[in-house]
Amino acid sequence: MHIPDNYLSPSTCIVMGAAMVPVWAIAVHKVKKEVTRSKIPMIGIGAAFSFLMMMFNVPLPGGTTGHAVGGTLLAILLGPYAACIAITVALLIQALLFGDGGILSFGANCFNMAFIIPFLGYFIYKFIKDRTKSEKGEYVGIIVGSYVGINMAALVAAIEFGVQPLLFTNSQGQPLYSPYPLSISIPAMMIPHLLVAGVVEVLFTTAIYTFIKKVSPGTIFEGAKQKIHTIYGLIVALICLTPLGLLATGTAWGEWGADEIKDVVHGGKQLGYTPAGMKNGFSFNAIMPDYSVKGLPEIAGYILSAIAGVAIMVIIFKIISSFSKTKPKDISNES
Amino acid sequence: MNHKENQRNLPDWLLKDENYIPQSDKDQFIGKSILSILRILSKIKSQSEYKTDKFHVNAALKVAFTFLLVILLSLSTSYTFIFVVDVYLLVVLSFMDGKEIIKILSVSLAMAFFTFIILFPYILLGNTYTSMIITLKVLSTLIAVNILSHSTRWNTITGALRRFYVPNIFILVLDITIKYISMLGDFSLNMLYSLKLRSVGKNNSKYGSIAGIAGTMFMKSKEMAEEMYAAMECRGFTGEYTVRSKWKLTIADFIYMLLTIGMIAAFILWGRI
Amino acid sequence: MIDLKDVSYSYEGINALNNINLHIEKGEAVALMGANGTGKSTLLKLMNGLLSPDQGVYRFDQEEITPKKLKNTKFSKAFHQKIGFVFQNSDTQLFCADVYDEIAFGPRQMGMNEDDVEKRVNDCLDLLGIQNFKHRQPYHLSGGEKRKVAIACVLALNPEVLVLDEPMNGLDPRTQRWLVNFLNTLNRSGKTLIISTHNLDLVQELSKRAILFDENHSIAADLPSENLFQEIDLLKKINLVDENYQHY
Repeated sequence: MHIPDNYLSPSTCIVMGAAMVPVWAIAVHKVKKEVTRSKIPMIGIGAAFSFLMMMFNVPLPGGTTGHAVGGTLLAILLGPYAACIAITVALLIQALLFGDGGILSFGANCFNMAFIIPFLGYFIYKFIKDRTKSEKGEYVGIIVGSYVGINMAALVAAIEFGVQPLLFTNSQGQPLYSPYPLSISIPAMMIPHLLVAGVVEVLFTTAIYTFIKKVSPGTIFEGAKQKIHTIYGLIVALICLTPLGLLATGTAWGEWGADEIKDVVHGGKQLGYTPAGMKNGFSFNAIMPDYSVKGLPEIAGYILSAIAGVAIMVIIFKIISSFSKTKPKDISNES
Repeated sequence: MNHKENQRNLPDWLLKDENYIPQSDKDQFIGKSILSILRILSKIKSQSEYKTDKFHVNAALKVAFTFLLVILLSLSTSYTFIFVVDVYLLVVLSFMDGKEIIKILSVSLAMAFFTFIILFPYILLGNTYTSMIITLKVLSTLIAVNILSHSTRWNTITGALRRFYVPNIFILVLDITIKYISMLGDFSLNMLYSLKLRSVGKNNSKYGSIAGIAGTMFMKSKEMAEEMYAAMECRGFTGEYTVRSKWKLTIADFIYMLLTIGMIAAFILWGRI
Repeated sequence: MIDLKDVSYSYEGINALNNINLHIEKGEAVALMGANGTGKSTLLKLMNGLLSPDQGVYRFDQEEITPKKLKNTKFSKAFHQKIGFVFQNSDTQLFCADVYDEIAFGPRQMGMNEDDVEKRVNDCLDLLGIQNFKHRQPYHLSGGEKRKVAIACVLALNPEVLVLDEPMNGLDPRTQRWLVNFLNTLNRSGKTLIISTHNLDLVQELSKRAILFDENHSIAADLPSENLFQEIDLLKKINLVDENYQHY
């Protein structure tokens, strides 16, 4: 679910980042009020916990493994506001220091994973739990909350991807960022999330919650009952605002349908005959950048190519020499 | 407890060798989790060692330039500009250590390849431009970000954020997070090791085990946070945190700034063709 | 039982073990000693198959242990059953919700029926004198109690070799004494023990043989532990004790 840079347009990133600003502001304010400044270490360590949780591989049926985000779990354990900040910090460290998830798309990633998952997941959990008052209800809340949380985040990510070709193309009308329309991006994101990632999230969340509740119930966050309404209002407001914000950059809702239909028909028609890619051949000279084109003087092009060539040689040489130094270790470390 | 209990006879089963033939079990999740945590820990560990920054460029400048590069790459629509950036990145790479080059390239190429696979169907539909330019941009951006994180000590990166008016308290949180990722990471790594060593047969509640590890990690983290706060208070922490940083520009910094201006010029010239 | 030939290991370019040659017979009790950071823990991890040597050969029961063989889950599970590891930090070893489940974890995996599992768990609880907190949560036990649970849960696998990393650390003197006696009982019954320790006072009672590590991460001496205090200069040289150290 970590969106790298260049899948989304910079303006989408700005919109998503802007949407996060009030969330962060409110979250910081709430956390300060709820736990005083004394809990600064808790946020840092909560972020470390959140970061590491994303490193865990969870067993899946058939012996394969998957990852969980653990956003709803963190919200249940720390409260949604602290969870939001903790996940934000974890995502920032991943983007900045581990190159996992983009820097520009940081806002979008935070929106999906540090906002939607913890708040929506926690809201659903709390809503069901407060209305059933039995342990069963609590677990139903966790299951529904974590499942809906991660799937809603995936849906929002899919929408973020899907609107790109509608909004951002170059002068020839070719998409500049994620090229797939909503009709492809939504099923592509949702099918694996509904079937696999959501289930992993549910199993992971319930199992850990059960363990902590059994061993150390006092460490779990106790949200006051009436708070639910403010969270509810905030979530509804922001979820409504997001698509509007996305669209503020250009097109309107109405155009989506037409565009998509055109796209599908277009694609379908092409596929009905020989696929165009085949017909045009995989002309790799079309893929390769044309060195001497478009404004770059020929000499400059040559110089740049020469510099690149030398640099590549040096890199290859260094890689080879460091391989021969570390070879025995690489083999032994396979386990 | 009576100490003489020790002397009592050991149970029979403990005196015999176990003639045990294990069943096979699909528990790769343990090994995979161990590997991903090891990767994180080794990256943090290699960070804490002395970094030979060959260029001696101010970290704040590096962070700013990398961000700028990421933005320009994202805005660019031409191969030419990306080509110019790539040449620059290759030159920087060629000054780095062989092992680091491998790390940077392998991470970046893996992600770029993944992007290419995702965009491959779009090539089949006849649009090579979009797929290729996105793949190249993803590759270039990742190399740029990874060069930053591999060539700069992390505490100088987080410290540099202060130059961009990120509040000190937030930088403190970042520093705590990095430290505790390594401490909690070490802790959970040992738990995973212990789970691995005791997994001598078929585990019928794998989720129970992974939940035990993650849950214990959570309780441990709460405990650590409380201890850390107590320790901070004992040392007179009042919520204020100052990040020390020297701000002295060297010749290397000026050359670096010229490069930045060059990149912007290249973008203006060729970036949006 | 355990045989290391010219074993070296380094981590992130830093040497942790340097050309280690060590042979341990079945039924021996061996103490590994050395200053902090000399590679004892690394060696113990290596013996348990958590790390593989960069160079050299590690044989367990005449069988060479290689990463490739350990990838075979049947082989690695059989190997892990034969050698048990008690970690330095008991917290990291306990991940079940109560003490009973913790100890039953291994036997259950071995496919025993619940009656046998119960007998084995109860035997372990008796053996370590922890019957009264059978249903407590390991996480909330005291340091000494956690150590006992950790030992019990490794013992429940009935390993042939028991590896203990600094088992005396953080225990009160009474519990330390108890543990020494308990380990002696295990050793007399035929278990091979490999123990890393800093405790100079107890080492002679723990084992007949002491292996000393120097700060170059290699073995400085392999001697009967009763001779340890005739070699004060050696202990000083490997920085295990300070210059003014005297043994009474």
